[in-house]
Amino acid sequence: MRVETTRTAAPVRLQHACAVYSSSADLVETAAPVVADAAGRGEAVVLSVRPETEALLREAAGTARVVALGAAAPARSSGQTTAARLARELRELTSQAGAVLAVSEHDSALDGIDGRYWTELDAAVNVALTDLPVSMFCFYPELPLHSEILEGAIANHPLLFEGGRLHVNADHRPPRDVLAGMPAAPPVLLGAPDLDMVFSAWQLHEVRAAVADLAAATAFDTARSEDVVLAVNEIATNAVEHGSGEARVALWIAGDGLVAEIHDTGEALTEPLPGLRAPHPADPRGRGVWIARQLCDVLHVWRDRSGTHVRMHAVP
Amino acid sequence: MCAVPLSEEQLWEVSADFVADGLDRNERVLYFDDGTAEGVLNRLSDDRVAFERPLRTGQLAIVPAEATRAIFHTPLPEARAMMLEHIDGSTAAGYAGFRMTGQMSYGLDRQWPATFVEYDRELDGLVRERGITALCLYDRRRYSDEQIERMRDVHRKELSVPTAYDDGLLRVVRTGPTSARLSGEVDHSNRPAIARLLETTLDDALRSHSAPSDIELNLASLRFIDVASAVSLVHAAEGFPDTHRLVLTDVRPGVLRVLDRCGAPFAAQLTVHEFPATSDTVWAGPGPVPGSGRHAGGDAPAAPSAGADAGWTDGHGDGFPDLREAR
Repeated sequence: MRVETTRTAAPVRLQHACAVYSSSADLVETAAPVVADAAGRGEAVVLSVRPETEALLREAAGTARVVALGAAAPARSSGQTTAARLARELRELTSQAGAVLAVSEHDSALDGIDGRYWTELDAAVNVALTDLPVSMFCFYPELPLHSEILEGAIANHPLLFEGGRLHVNADHRPPRDVLAGMPAAPPVLLGAPDLDMVFSAWQLHEVRAAVADLAAATAFDTARSEDVVLAVNEIATNAVEHGSGEARVALWIAGDGLVAEIHDTGEALTEPLPGLRAPHPADPRGRGVWIARQLCDVLHVWRDRSGTHVRMHAVP
Repeated sequence: MCAVPLSEEQLWEVSADFVADGLDRNERVLYFDDGTAEGVLNRLSDDRVAFERPLRTGQLAIVPAEATRAIFHTPLPEARAMMLEHIDGSTAAGYAGFRMTGQMSYGLDRQWPATFVEYDRELDGLVRERGITALCLYDRRRYSDEQIERMRDVHRKELSVPTAYDDGLLRVVRTGPTSARLSGEVDHSNRPAIARLLETTLDDALRSHSAPSDIELNLASLRFIDVASAVSLVHAAEGFPDTHRLVLTDVRPGVLRVLDRCGAPFAAQLTVHEFPATSDTVWAGPGPVPGSGRHAGGDAPAAPSAGADAGWTDGHGDGFPDLREAR
């Protein structure tokens, strides 16, 4: 008899709200009271906004602790990578400071060709930050260049912030649904790889040796090199474990490190953005991708009809 | 004597043991390199054999691959004279004896079989007349089955090492009733081997009152472990009865980091000792390991117990000494 174990759902502590602004002045006017309130409650304030906005919101925060993330570190246009990084930083901050208010502002420089970076980011935030005591207010322009941005924002946020009040968003949909309609985009194509090989489960050691060889040609130290080998090994293992048994790896020496792509032709996993949430200690699966995400500077998963693809970028 | 290793790991293991035994007996040791010396030296440092001083003093000498190759292009009498010079030289220098080992596969290319066998016969003569020790290694990657059978015939002894598991990537040798040594790499392809090993070892320990309650795995030569295998070690330890522990010794920094990320510090019945850094090793870890508080304990793990099942056996029963025991 096979017993299915159901994972106990972690309590949702994230408050993820969408707010729409007509102008920069409108944004500050709307956000300042929220920041002041949080400061009054003794919460730390995290800002991922344009420099002018940041200065004004710092004023509103008064003496409260303010952490600026800068204008969203452009994680090479991977929304899921930005969310993973945000989760890492907020996990650390909330473990010391308790509840945190986060304010983010749309930045059209990250729109890409159709603005789906933002949809991917917000969906990934819903997954990665679920269990953190964070109130996150995402500010979007009334009229973005791509209408999909606002559509995605409305679908992704469980809460709307309008007229100074939070209310439940009836149009909110879970990340899986949102991403089914607008899947994560493939990253920018790179040139011919420095190494390209097909491998099976019995050739994982050859993949590791290839990564170690290339890493040795860059500025990675021993420990970092071992970590990158581990990250690629975990993604490669997943590909041959869940895929058709054979997968492809392509490696590039980039100007600032190493890029690896793993492609498999297997059936898509049920989870659209794997490895964003820490696996339960008793869960034997899922830890590999989680650890790989922690070790890589970018880890981007996308899917298309040909299968599942992962790009990793690691810098020394 | 000769040995036919199943894998590179075994080749390094057998060679390192042979070299270490010679150093222990204050013999001069000559290693004819064939691209394997680095692996053997790494294995010696895993085994914590101090070989740097012997390398400096010349007690241990590595004959470069080109020189090894050249020997097979030297006429037999000259080669014999050269060997005699080495043997007499080591006696004169006060060494207790002379031993040599290495891979001779360069001799295969043009010289097989006549000259190759002739050289080996000549060497055999020296072994008998002058009491030197020579270990010839024939592994299946470099020699064909037919060649191996032929070479087995011209050697008087063959070393065979008991192997619990060896797939060319991972090698497991039992070192006692509840201890084993792992060398190589563990990944998705051979993960079940570890699970089986732990299961049977724990079973043996539970059935025997005299068996130690620690299941000890020496990981000095384990160079890679994947996340799922590390998780399975942690889970296995958590599943042990209260009376028993899983002890991982001589863990390399890279493997230690994987174990730490997989919850090893929180498993009550899992003890991890990292490989102690010493100055006399070429294998240098990448420095301090973060979060190693629990692993930093200075209590050096006991050396793997050398049991009858762990040592060397020689198939001819003429009492070749147990090399491990001798150390």
